[in-house]
Amino acid sequence: MLLTLAFPLLLLGGMAIAAQSSINGTLSVRTDVVTTAWLANVVAAVILFVLVIFFEPPQTATMFSVPMWQLSGALFGTFSMVAIVVGVPRIGTAATIVAVIAGQIIMGLMVDHFGWFGNTQLRLDEKRIMAIVLLAGALYLIYLSNVRRVKTVD
Amino acid sequence: MGQILMLLFVVIGGMALALEAALLGPLGESIGRLSASLSIFLIGVLVFSVAMVVLKLAGKRNYLATLPKQPRWLLTGGLVGFMYTIVLTITTPLVGVGTTMVGILCGQISASLVIDHFGLLGSERRAIDRYRIGALALILLALWLIY
Repeated sequence: MLLTLAFPLLLLGGMAIAAQSSINGTLSVRTDVVTTAWLANVVAAVILFVLVIFFEPPQTATMFSVPMWQLSGALFGTFSMVAIVVGVPRIGTAATIVAVIAGQIIMGLMVDHFGWFGNTQLRLDEKRIMAIVLLAGALYLIYLSNVRRVKTVD
Repeated sequence: MGQILMLLFVVIGGMALALEAALLGPLGESIGRLSASLSIFLIGVLVFSVAMVVLKLAGKRNYLATLPKQPRWLLTGGLVGFMYTIVLTITTPLVGVGTTMVGILCGQISASLVIDHFGLLGSERRAIDRYRIGALALILLALWLIY
């Protein structure tokens, strides 16, 4: 019962990500990548600022008291935003989304395997290695779909 | 060739996203989840503001003034994606991380295929063909193996 309620909600959340990638890709063609990424960060920061003020319970630490390296995740995030905005107009929304997901899962499995950043160690087993192979296959198929399309357009 | 390089570039972008998530988790525990997300976007604003100034100094055109003249829906990119964070906060405690991830990924992939197929939101049309159906099947199989 819980699952039947949660799953449509999750699908909707995933669709929002795809829509955002596509919208930002279009905006980057009309302006440029830096302006698009700047706007997306400003909008999200303003909303979160309001939410932090009203809904964040008091914490022992703040973003100004934690060690600098803990904030370095943001730099990875900005890079991935640029990759998505650059990718969408050139290879399409689906190829971009599939590539991002493949990268995420592969890196996620590596973080698990080596137990980086103090996460629990989960070794790569046959099932997980098989999953990486399948993801690579999916990327190849999307690539074939794109390349064939380019040929028929010519 | 350009297609392969661009695909690999985006795969690396996805890897960066996973690293961000891995670093964001512990940060959220110490300064709060909302504040952790806020810090990410504040640093993003900083990085891209600096990039804008550098481009301007390099003599490139600045597009900031053209933003108000764009169609409104093109400026909603940051808003729409925000829904995702709210959905995550609601469902993760209810159904667990595994189911949450599978649901989100299914929504992402199906919506992206539809956007390409009909050329929605200003994107180019790329019809759903048997290669794309095949890719979808492989991803579902991979997700089933992991979760």
